[in-house]
Amino acid sequence: MARKSMIKIKPKKYSVGDVVKVDFIVIHPMETGLRKDKKTGNVIPAHYINDIQFFYDDKLVTKMDIWESVSTDPYFSINLKVTKKAELKVVYKDNTGELNEKSTTLKPA
Amino acid sequence: MLRRTFIQWAGLGLAATVLAPSVLSAEEKQKIVSPNAMKFTDALDKVTGGKKVSESSKIKLVAPEIAENGAVVPVKVDVESPMSESDYVKRIHVFASKNANSRCASVELTPANGEAYFATRLKLGGTQDVVAVAELSNGTFITAKQSVKVTIGGCG
Repeated sequence: MARKSMIKIKPKKYSVGDVVKVDFIVIHPMETGLRKDKKTGNVIPAHYINDIQFFYDDKLVTKMDIWESVSTDPYFSINLKVTKKAELKVVYKDNTGELNEKSTTLKPA
Repeated sequence: MLRRTFIQWAGLGLAATVLAPSVLSAEEKQKIVSPNAMKFTDALDKVTGGKKVSESSKIKLVAPEIAENGAVVPVKVDVESPMSESDYVKRIHVFASKNANSRCASVELTPANGEAYFATRLKLGGTQDVVAVAELSNGTFITAKQSVKVTIGGCG
């Protein structure tokens, strides 16, 4: 299942050598496994993103281990040094094994 | 006399019926234990391997002092570092000291990041400290913390 996710680069215009902010947002429930369904009384099983990897120009730049304490529709922000025009790929995995990726191209002016 | 005993018994019965469900639900609540549950001190030990963690002005943790909604608490960590091959921030860990699983995020950085920075949003179950620990490339750990007062918990 494809999830909705978004990569945002701030600022919009940047050149080689600049450090830009990379914002990454996924639409994901991030269930903790501690909550109960109010109608049935059953525990809602845990469902959260636990692994995110940022690849820039096919090199692993940042790796995140995430646990359920991160909010619903999680938002992550890191910095990245722009070295050339290349693809930025984010691969994310949740605890049910669901694997997704999202990519964008960095185009320094 | 008979009437008095009857009222006493009836009162007891009523109290029992009122109390019983609440006691049951409390027991059920305790049964739900997160498989990842880890106390803050254990989590910190696991990360640092028992090494000394010192407070430093080089690491800055920005979190609100009062969070109206515990489900979304923005947290920002900034570490002063040249981020060169020889001297960079290896990892940034974020903990919520009183959540069932106090670990929130561990971010592995590389010199390609340019600056050591990480931001996210956390769920906090109640008023507690948010702690950031940075592991530097020379093996030392620095930390910063911020107490966040939560008026509505986020793990309901």
